[in-house]
Amino acid sequence: MYVLLIKQFLRSRINVVALMLLLIIGIISIFIGRQFLFRQQEAIAKVTEHQRTHIERNVAANDEMGLLLYYLRFSLISKPDKLAAISIGQRDINPGIQSITIRTLEAQKYDTDLTNPVQLQSGNLDFGFVIIYLFPLIIIAFTFNVFSEDNESGTWKLLAVQSRSALRYILSKVLTRMLFVYGMLLLLFLMAIIVLRLPMSEALSAFVILSTLYITFWFALSFWLSMFKHSSGFNVLALLTIWVALTILAPAVVNNFVASAYPVPEAFSNIIKQRDSYHKKWDVDKKVTMDKFYAHYPQLKQYGDPDENFWIWYYAMQQMGDDESLNESKAMREKLLQRDKTSRAIALAIPTMHAQMQLNDLAQTSLIDYLRLLDNAGDFHERTRLYFYPKIFTSSNPKKEDWTQFKPEFLQPRKGVNWLLMATPLTVIIMVFYSWAFIRSKKLYNL
Amino acid sequence: MRSKIVMLIARQFWSSTFHSKAAYGILTVIMLLVCFAAYTGWRTYTVQDDIREHYQRVVRESWENNPDKHPHRMAHFGSFAFRVKYPLSVFDFGLESYTGNAIYLEAHKQNTINFSEASFSTGLLRFGEISVAMLLQIILPLAIVFLGFSAVSADRENGTLKVMLTQGAGWKEILIGKSLGLMGLAMLIIVPAFVMTLAFMIDTKNSHAVELFPRYTATIFSYVIFLAVICLITIVVSAVSGTSKSALLKLLALWLLLAVILPRTMQALGSYFYPAPSKIEFETAIEEDVLKEGDSHNPDDPHYKHLRDSVLMVHQVDSVEKLPFNYSGFVMREGEKISANIYQAHLRKLLTVYDKQNSITKMTAILNPFSAIRNVSMALSGTDFESYKIFQHQTEEYRYLLAQKMNELQMELISNEKAPHDKPHAISSDHWREVPDFKPTSPEWTTSINDEGISFLALILWCVVALGIINRISKTLKAI
Repeated sequence: MYVLLIKQFLRSRINVVALMLLLIIGIISIFIGRQFLFRQQEAIAKVTEHQRTHIERNVAANDEMGLLLYYLRFSLISKPDKLAAISIGQRDINPGIQSITIRTLEAQKYDTDLTNPVQLQSGNLDFGFVIIYLFPLIIIAFTFNVFSEDNESGTWKLLAVQSRSALRYILSKVLTRMLFVYGMLLLLFLMAIIVLRLPMSEALSAFVILSTLYITFWFALSFWLSMFKHSSGFNVLALLTIWVALTILAPAVVNNFVASAYPVPEAFSNIIKQRDSYHKKWDVDKKVTMDKFYAHYPQLKQYGDPDENFWIWYYAMQQMGDDESLNESKAMREKLLQRDKTSRAIALAIPTMHAQMQLNDLAQTSLIDYLRLLDNAGDFHERTRLYFYPKIFTSSNPKKEDWTQFKPEFLQPRKGVNWLLMATPLTVIIMVFYSWAFIRSKKLYNL
Repeated sequence: MRSKIVMLIARQFWSSTFHSKAAYGILTVIMLLVCFAAYTGWRTYTVQDDIREHYQRVVRESWENNPDKHPHRMAHFGSFAFRVKYPLSVFDFGLESYTGNAIYLEAHKQNTINFSEASFSTGLLRFGEISVAMLLQIILPLAIVFLGFSAVSADRENGTLKVMLTQGAGWKEILIGKSLGLMGLAMLIIVPAFVMTLAFMIDTKNSHAVELFPRYTATIFSYVIFLAVICLITIVVSAVSGTSKSALLKLLALWLLLAVILPRTMQALGSYFYPAPSKIEFETAIEEDVLKEGDSHNPDDPHYKHLRDSVLMVHQVDSVEKLPFNYSGFVMREGEKISANIYQAHLRKLLTVYDKQNSITKMTAILNPFSAIRNVSMALSGTDFESYKIFQHQTEEYRYLLAQKMNELQMELISNEKAPHDKPHAISSDHWREVPDFKPTSPEWTTSINDEGISFLALILWCVVALGIINRISKTLKAI
């Protein structure tokens, strides 16, 4: 019977064209991901090379440690996980590289990447988009009339009177369609694995499982609706309305809500505060700043004399930029975490949003991953400046320093997958739809 | 074509639509969404503008309250520019959420415009936002499809069409009449949407800007044309399709392709074929060019050595201390000019790459009315890329003005003699007020229309073509 069903399915030109279209866009998305990954890796290589030549050139030109460290930039790099190619997330706007001097960090760390806003608005055509937007469409196209077409043509009545297991025929039709859709998903994943050289990892398997669950959700939804014996026209209208509601309207409504409920004025107050905290120290007595500085770092009192070495005062003033804007900086971070928490809570009930956020989590391209880089940039900056402060304060000779050890540092990737959080919401929704559909299916025989 | 019959058919279509409960449902849901979108648009506008104006004032006060000091300290103290929203952004958010909002303006260095809404996003912004414009561009056309797909095909299926034709109605009258009826339904959303926009727009602080009303009127005009095109196409597809179901499937496929899939794919291809430089490439290229011109900090640098020699010769003195102006201020003014020019050249190159990336989307506007209306609407609402470029340009202009003003004050008022150690050179704080406050201006509305000329033409062309198709098929259509 399955062979016949497959033949019947393929006889429809629309079905074949739709599958081909999906395949082509899927391949395009994989290549877009490949280019994205390539550009990121290229940038990392350039930063690494630039840091070497930049340090060399400046060390050659400056004999004063304090002045030299005014210029020197050190990089902390969050290498994109290869999965970022299939779920680019926030990675295109929030940079994965922090190149910072030991001066005030708050003045440096929020710099964005260069971006084309029109491109950002239209969004990335990554494989995640294909899974979240396009696969549901093809499922709708294949299954909206899985029952209604037989009902409308009268085949169902014939079947139903002939056998009590006529439902199995409908199920086989759904299974035939599943075969093609899951097959396409698998094919595209295989292509992605080959083209992007994705390593086998826990995150990748989670990615595949999440995508499968998400697609199963759409099958469940469509199957459930078909049990209500509506006309084909009604089904397609209803399913498309649900698609529009889940992929366009609901996330957009939530987004508007989050953006207007949690504005981030702290971002502005923070950058003004850090600037004033440093620059206005030039007008304040040196001793006031030095006292605050030594209160923060008593261990540095032993190095040099601020009256002899200008740079001690200078970096103490710079330090005040960070120290005195600490509250604003924390408040901004809290606000962003609040946004994230709210979005995640709402997403639990909305499969599209949940899938998107989880894909970004797996690919380590979410807002949380960016905040993690910012936090680590703080540690990195602190380490670097505490290493150089004593050298600057004692006016050590830059030529004696081993500069080759200052290569870009890499942020360790996040480990582990929260399987429970990832799979539960979708599994529950799928089970509800299938059980309901099963209960409902008894009524199909009421002719 | 008799207008009385056309109106009769339009009225009949209108009233028969309201026989079904579904029409009420669809229109109510969209109306609620429009209200939500208009309200959040207005709220975001007021909240954000209050925040930004507040901090712009704080920045100004902070600047003016600086005590007497060396002008170069002030050049480093610098300033900030916050992007204020254009009142019509209440209606169309456009690129607002994807463009930066705050920039630090200091001497020697061009910073990035940071803190865009997108950079704060939890990843959801990729699904898009809900603005009145978005609803009229994407969702209302879908509703029109829902309401109109069976307009002609159902009449054919139940035989009404035959009756109408035998009673003397012409094909053209039927098609135009149904289109008008459908457009009437759309007007039930369009009119309140624009009334609401007007109310919220007038409420915004900058509504006195004279520019607003021509922009608003042109926006209404564009949307009416766009939605008329959608209504006409819906009716045409309904008329040429054998069954209602096939009309529905064709229209849905068309909507998906034109409104959702094509715009994103075209933009993605644009970015794929014209890759933009990364930040590190961009910055390194500028750094290299600046170094090539000369290093103002290096006393042996040939460029600046030559500059010094020629300045000394013109003033016929033998050392820079004897010059009638502060020499290091002069050197910095020169350095700022060189580096700013280099930066501008690189920025122009970068923007050209972006324009190329966007060119595919811009060109497809000719074929895709959904892209055309999007471009036109953003341009008229002052939320398009061109408006952002103007802001970007104005911030750099202001930064340059501020830095050079400080350099000139230094040249004029700071002595060439070295200051004693305990008392550095300083000038009166009264000078800080001489630098004007940052006051961005928005582009003329005629410029916006010119920028999107192609899209405007495309909309009008689509309307003409759709009418032409109706004219043509009305000669060949069959009643059964």
